[in-house]
Amino acid sequence: MKRLTLALAIAAFVTLPALADWTPDIEAWNSAPPPQPGAVVVRGATVWTATGAGILENVDLLVRDGRIAAIGESLDAPANAVEIDAAGMHVTPGIIDAHSHAAIIGGVNESSRISTADVRIRDVIDAESINIYRQLAGGVTAINLLHGSANAIGGQMAVIKMRWGAPPEELVFDAARPGIKFALGENPKQSNWNNDTPRYPQTRQGVEQIIRELFQQAADYRSAHENHPEGRAGRDQVPPRPDHRLAAVAEVIYGERDVHSHAYRADEMLALMRIAEQFDFTIRTFQHVLEGYKIGPQLAAHGAGASVFIDWWAFKQEAIDAIGYNPALMHQAGVLTGLHSDNPELARRMNLEAAKAVRYGDLDEHTALQLITAFPADQLGVGARTGRLAPELDADFVLWNGHPLSVYSRVEQTWVDGRRYFDRAADERMRESLAAEHAELIALAQASEDESSDDEQGNAESETDSDADPGKRRRTMSFASHLTGYRASELDHDEYCILHDH
Amino acid sequence: MITEARSLLILFALLLAGPAPADITALVGATVHPVSAEAIENGVVLIEDERIQAVGADLPIPDDAEVIDLAGLHLYPGFVHPATQLGLTEISSVPGSVDTDEMGSINAALRAEVSVNHDSALLPVAVAGGVLNAHIMPGGGLIRGTSAMLRLDGWSWEEMVLQTPTAMHLAFPSGAAGDEDNEDLALIDETLEKARHWHAAEAAAARGEAPRPARNDQLEALGPLLAGEVPLMIHANGIAVIETALDWAEAQQFKRVILSANADVQYAAERLAADGIPVILRGVYNMPVRRWEAYDMAYVAADRLHQAGVLFAIGDSGGGMDVANARNLPFHAGSAAAHGLPKDAALKSVTLWPAEILGAGDQIGSIEPGKQASLFAATGDPLEPMTKIRRVWIDGAEYDLMRDRHRRLYQRYRQHQQAEAR
Repeated sequence: MKRLTLALAIAAFVTLPALADWTPDIEAWNSAPPPQPGAVVVRGATVWTATGAGILENVDLLVRDGRIAAIGESLDAPANAVEIDAAGMHVTPGIIDAHSHAAIIGGVNESSRISTADVRIRDVIDAESINIYRQLAGGVTAINLLHGSANAIGGQMAVIKMRWGAPPEELVFDAARPGIKFALGENPKQSNWNNDTPRYPQTRQGVEQIIRELFQQAADYRSAHENHPEGRAGRDQVPPRPDHRLAAVAEVIYGERDVHSHAYRADEMLALMRIAEQFDFTIRTFQHVLEGYKIGPQLAAHGAGASVFIDWWAFKQEAIDAIGYNPALMHQAGVLTGLHSDNPELARRMNLEAAKAVRYGDLDEHTALQLITAFPADQLGVGARTGRLAPELDADFVLWNGHPLSVYSRVEQTWVDGRRYFDRAADERMRESLAAEHAELIALAQASEDESSDDEQGNAESETDSDADPGKRRRTMSFASHLTGYRASELDHDEYCILHDH
Repeated sequence: MITEARSLLILFALLLAGPAPADITALVGATVHPVSAEAIENGVVLIEDERIQAVGADLPIPDDAEVIDLAGLHLYPGFVHPATQLGLTEISSVPGSVDTDEMGSINAALRAEVSVNHDSALLPVAVAGGVLNAHIMPGGGLIRGTSAMLRLDGWSWEEMVLQTPTAMHLAFPSGAAGDEDNEDLALIDETLEKARHWHAAEAAAARGEAPRPARNDQLEALGPLLAGEVPLMIHANGIAVIETALDWAEAQQFKRVILSANADVQYAAERLAADGIPVILRGVYNMPVRRWEAYDMAYVAADRLHQAGVLFAIGDSGGGMDVANARNLPFHAGSAAAHGLPKDAALKSVTLWPAEILGAGDQIGSIEPGKQASLFAATGDPLEPMTKIRRVWIDGAEYDLMRDRHRRLYQRYRQHQQAEAR
């Protein structure tokens, strides 16, 4: 056994490509994880720490064994350290997206019941989603995969790190606090679709009522289980029937699972906070929070965080009062505020969403960057592991070729756990190898087509066949022209698309 | 009610007063970015009534001019949105507020501008983002009707129209790629053929050589297109569809064609440059069209067009979420610049070039004498999301930015929050 492990270790050592020529693949299953160097030093960069240290100019960042070891001027690095000359470049923490549906197999909504608290995203993580690689190319290093908002309680979320090439269970970010998606307003009350068989509730007060009732049931359920005697005494009584839905809701009451609730309007957020206070727990975050700026002090007093679209508005009635100044106002009110994507394309440019928090409401640039790094990390309970650049934290960071909030800047490298998962140079190598493979396949296809047409010329029967169905070839071509290679689960899932039947 | 005698009196008084003195505004102190020329530090822009009278470094300022000091700010021409449905939709999930897409296939006689709500709450938000002109398009069917170039301010849609019709719109059927028997394309061909005959009959009737043909609003509306007076804007996505559409347009011998397309248009760049067909690139913020394409495939499309020598403008999807967020147009252009497009080309692609492509190049798109005075003062480069837009003028009149609902809500709740904190 020991020998086998050793042999495997040697094999891994031998077959793993060196960092310099590591090349990702467009298919996760075929993409070897990038090596983790024992030490990496990024020299002479402008480092945005997302901590109280602020922005440090012309400093080095030292990484050892996947963790940040030091940040400072002219750091000593081990002789074998991978050296990166980052003069003129900026380094930021990896971007954390607290609201995503970008890597979920199948449907995002288990919308059948008003509560589907028992269903779990971690069972359906799509490790093969091309969104993971593309978001790495936008500097994203961790995302929160959430259910949709079709029902009041959508299901249990999963926070993943963007380890392209790893199987689903290895994407899961274990440090994250368990969470559950709630939803309020137009979506759970089914305002925007024709429903032949409407279910309760159809109003905001109905949504409030049913959530309150679910918490009552969950509290009773948990106490029934806790009151069931252990040992000999318990054997003489019928135990309470297990119910995974109520068990998950009960975890919320007992502080073991966080609520992240989709919400737009001030009224519905106040109502959910009051239920939580009645059951003595705190709503961890509201998601979207379009009218959060109207109740900033109340959100802060309750302790709810806010995860926000910065400028989506007017796409439904409840989004008519959404304003770009929302994050700035909430931040100033003391609300733990972050920006999210809710859309796999938008997720690729979260730095520009942060820039808009400077435009709308005058946040300083460093605070604006914290809206997509430190603050969402804190919301997900991973702030002690990622989202900032400081010693001991995971080496999740991004190298930009310019100011990270500038529209003219681009991501050059993205590191997760001290591994370089995205690199423009490696991406170029991948393009070349894909182009070569493409040319090879086309040549093979053409060769086989030539062969078969030779066959047809010598075969009257097949010629008759093709005459009998002259449309056949055209349809094939037409079909091919529409092939894009995407799977449905990789395409847009967001508030707008769900509501507008896209 | 004004009595007749009193209105005569007013008329008399006006005659005595003579012609009203020209209303001259001098914008001074800003760095002026004409777009059509190099930036002018500490420049002067003289505005007379609704037009720009002069632009320069050391211009004499008339004594009666209203002088506005813009020291520290940067003046840019308003962004020109090349393809949107602003004004035709308010809340996209509320059908009663949406007039974007008519039913039916042949809608040549539709005119987009007649259902523009001049008090749409979306318009001041776009203006506050520097989008001062927009090309408004009808959306439903195959032949969709005509579009108009608007100024985004006015007391009615009629006052907003800068130029109409700007183009006839055709949604090229995607099924026609690789299918010569496509029914939608056959319907388009048949309609155009009928229109040619109808107009020939109409011309013959005008000469007294034949009876007038029966009225047909749809066929009549196609006249300016067939006469080459109005360009055809072809909407096509995907390279196979784009190429089929270009072949078709060539066979139809349209005089002026504008192509509105997704990022795949980069694969037709050489042909478009050779044929002199301008392009509206429908957004930069898109996924690669195919899964196996490079992550930045949509980001580099503008630069590929530019390198090939295609005249192009950058737009967005023009529908859905992008209508309410037309204000993000400049950021699309900025992101194209992050991926290769020269910065000055990026700026032109959302100002001068859309104006030129849409036939309004002599009126808008740059800060030049004789053009409409539609411009804004910003804290810096307006393609940067961090930049703030401070003041806006549309056709010479300063625009009250507090008409932007977002600014009003911000002011109201910021004051409330500050009062609560005290």
